[in-house]
Amino acid sequence: MKILLVPLITLLSLQSFALVKISGRVVESGGDAIPGVNVFLADTYDGASTNANGYFEFETQERGKRILTARFVGYKEFVQEIEIQNENFEFTIKLIETINELQAVTITAGAFTASDVARRTVFRALDIATTAGATADIAGALNTLPGTQKVGESGRLFVRGGDGNETRTFIDGLVVLDAYKPSAPNTPSRGRFLPFMFKGTSFSTGGYSAEFGQALSSALVLDSKDKGELTRTDFGILSVGGDVGHTQVWEHGSVGGKIQYTNLRPYVGLINQEVDWEDAPVSLEVGAAFRQEVGTHGLFKFYGNFNHSNFSLYQHSIDDYDQKTRYDLTNKYHYLNGFYKTSLNTNWSAQGGISFTSIDEKTFLGDNLIGELQKGLHIKTVVQGSLTDHVELKSGVEIISRTYDQKFSDDAAPNLYSFDEIVSAGFVEADLYTSNRFVVRAGVRLEHVNLTRRFSIDPRLSLAYKLGVDGQISIAYGKFRQSAKDEFIKVDPLLDAEKASHYIINYQYVKGKRTFRVETYYKSYSDLVKYPDDDHITLTNEGTGAAKGLELFWRDNGSINRLDYWISYSYLDTKRNYLDFPYEVTPTFASKHNASIVAKYFVRKIKSQLGVTYSFTSGRPYNDPNTKTFNQLRTPYYADLSFNWSYLPTTSVIVYFSCTNVLGRDNIFGYEYSRVPSADGSFNGRPIRQPAPRFLFLGIFITLSKDKSVNQLPSL
Amino acid sequence: MKTRTIILIASVLLIYTSNALGNDNQYAEAMAKNIQTVYRSESIGELQSAVNALERIASAEKTKWEPYYYAAFGNIMIAHREQDGTKKDAFLDQAIANIGNAKKIAPKESEIIALEGFVHIIRITVNPETRGQQYSGLAMQTLGRALSLNPENPRALALIAQTQYGTAQFLGSPTTEACATNASALEKFATFKSENPLAPKWGNRMAEEIASSCK
Repeated sequence: MKILLVPLITLLSLQSFALVKISGRVVESGGDAIPGVNVFLADTYDGASTNANGYFEFETQERGKRILTARFVGYKEFVQEIEIQNENFEFTIKLIETINELQAVTITAGAFTASDVARRTVFRALDIATTAGATADIAGALNTLPGTQKVGESGRLFVRGGDGNETRTFIDGLVVLDAYKPSAPNTPSRGRFLPFMFKGTSFSTGGYSAEFGQALSSALVLDSKDKGELTRTDFGILSVGGDVGHTQVWEHGSVGGKIQYTNLRPYVGLINQEVDWEDAPVSLEVGAAFRQEVGTHGLFKFYGNFNHSNFSLYQHSIDDYDQKTRYDLTNKYHYLNGFYKTSLNTNWSAQGGISFTSIDEKTFLGDNLIGELQKGLHIKTVVQGSLTDHVELKSGVEIISRTYDQKFSDDAAPNLYSFDEIVSAGFVEADLYTSNRFVVRAGVRLEHVNLTRRFSIDPRLSLAYKLGVDGQISIAYGKFRQSAKDEFIKVDPLLDAEKASHYIINYQYVKGKRTFRVETYYKSYSDLVKYPDDDHITLTNEGTGAAKGLELFWRDNGSINRLDYWISYSYLDTKRNYLDFPYEVTPTFASKHNASIVAKYFVRKIKSQLGVTYSFTSGRPYNDPNTKTFNQLRTPYYADLSFNWSYLPTTSVIVYFSCTNVLGRDNIFGYEYSRVPSADGSFNGRPIRQPAPRFLFLGIFITLSKDKSVNQLPSL
Repeated sequence: MKTRTIILIASVLLIYTSNALGNDNQYAEAMAKNIQTVYRSESIGELQSAVNALERIASAEKTKWEPYYYAAFGNIMIAHREQDGTKKDAFLDQAIANIGNAKKIAPKESEIIALEGFVHIIRITVNPETRGQQYSGLAMQTLGRALSLNPENPRALALIAQTQYGTAQFLGSPTTEACATNASALEKFATFKSENPLAPKWGNRMAEEIASSCK
């Protein structure tokens, strides 16, 4: 017994006290040492950090099978099972870089991403609110970026020789049928959606993902905020109305709502207007958002927007000012969007959404009523995740259905234009990273349109290569299509989609708080809708066109303390032969040179943020029927200097003042001509001007919350 | 024979108990050493080693929140010393991951929630102009929650004072409110007591600094 016992005790004590040395070196795939790596036996105290040369060494009493782990920020965790007996171990551990959003190369061709979360963005959500001249309108702020052309009488986003209709807005991946509020003819419209609702904005001027279809020139992708952060109540007293909003936050969800009433009548009464208003625009808007986290991985979002607006004005005849027609418009808009996102496991996630839009617009032209009713339904499911560390896959299916009905009251027979279009589509797209320096994104999009019974396949391809720590180059190519405008499909539902091909090269340099970008592109159009002069019934897809250009962007918010500014310039050369054009010519909305300078400066002494924006647009083409040429004349250049001032007397109150076109320049957007010649055979014409030289806005915003240091600056 | 068996069992037990005792001592010692480092060290390398050690302790001591807490504190100290904004954020992400693990063990611990508020405050320093509003709001909300879990937590109060002071300075408004909060934080520091020998002890100096600029 004695004999048995002694070795047993010896063994036990040996196990407790003999030490085994584990040592080695940690390197990255290139062979360079990584200092600071945590190398240890899982679930024990035993381990060490690597020194400046990547070496580590530690001792352990553990025996048997153990897990050796090496862990460091930015690298994939290394794990290996080892069997510890009495011999020492020596290892060389190779850590593989994780492809992470911070260091990895990103595709920047055509894309401007604004996000509160990502760090390397050139444009931020807050920028939208604080850009002078934009009056907190998303399109207005994006109009200071390269790739856009200022079309003052429209207010919409015109991108790279495309018209405003070619830019489509998506909320949480779901298309928005009409992203702009109604406006009187030749007056700028505003976006329906307030910037503060979104955590991220991605504005692409070409070459975008296969996920987005039915957009010919540009995709504006808005990601709505997740759960609200703070319980708060907001009041706004505006020179043109008022609003009240409340957000209630609980542990796993939030609900928020906002009601805004705007009435331009008193303002229009005070400041002389180009437009002969009978009743200036009045609008009531209600927005509501509900967020609920489901379990640990799911998130449900609901968003609804209801808007009712009305105005009436007198349109004066070009030939005889005293001859006028009353124009009265009422627009009722409903938008509902439900979205659910869940992670399937650590690598894969799924999301699905459904959106419903209804637009009911009634326009009286004199006594004639035109009624337009549009309904849209969009259903979409997307699955995305990582196949391996270096391959990310995204795939989805969607159905975009819309119905359109138009009625005229003056026809004897109920003349009814209508169509029901169903676009069914599927897409798949893969991001292949060979390292943190190089990525290829290849995608393909399939579409079927019920009206034409046509299938289509559109390829998309982009790649990006990081030249060094700060610079990178991207290239993008893609085919894009979009159904013809409602006004054409209602006449000829068999019209094929309009098509475009984009070719883009981009160089971006980001160092600290300075960004420089240069981008050049070529875009060709085909199958544009065309009709013979004055014949709006015989429609074909024979239109063609092309656009090419060069764009520059510089942003710096690091050189001068508290000063943030950016400069953008776009050169555009575009021609198309579509609609009733007799030959290939530059359309009226396209201008050759566009430039913007935006500056924001915080002055502590007066507790204010001051902002200035200067925009310049070279003359736009217009067509004078008195000449033999088409679209050959040019308007004077457009220039605007806008100013805004946010004053924060206390932390929960903001006084906001803005003024557009401070210098009062009489900008002319184009000329319109009478359809019939006057007695001497010439056509009378008149310029299209700004509704008023300046737009002044004053608002006081008050926020009530438990925490007094919150105000509405982020949402302004 | 019987006695021998008893001796055998006793000695085996003894070895294991001493091992177990050793573990507790080992824990206390290892914690003490690394806590000192994360409190005092100004070198990123030393801080990283201490954070690594604390993460190892955490992986062995699955029921204790303190190793994760101090590992996160070390991450914050590294982020505070790091100049590059992107790296700063990466270390703060690590801190949040460690805080998340600590919260799983002790969901109602006021100190952990206060540390989360501290992370939001350091986030602001990456770019005060664009991040100030969002993260000061988040910090205030998180610190408010820490205070509601333990109204006596001086660190939660001191960090609230810090945020208020920073906001007031940024806007050029009076610091009266911040100074009042800070004064009550200083009172709580004087009376703070915890039964936990590893309870956090930092923050007093930060409050004293604010107090001196309040005069």
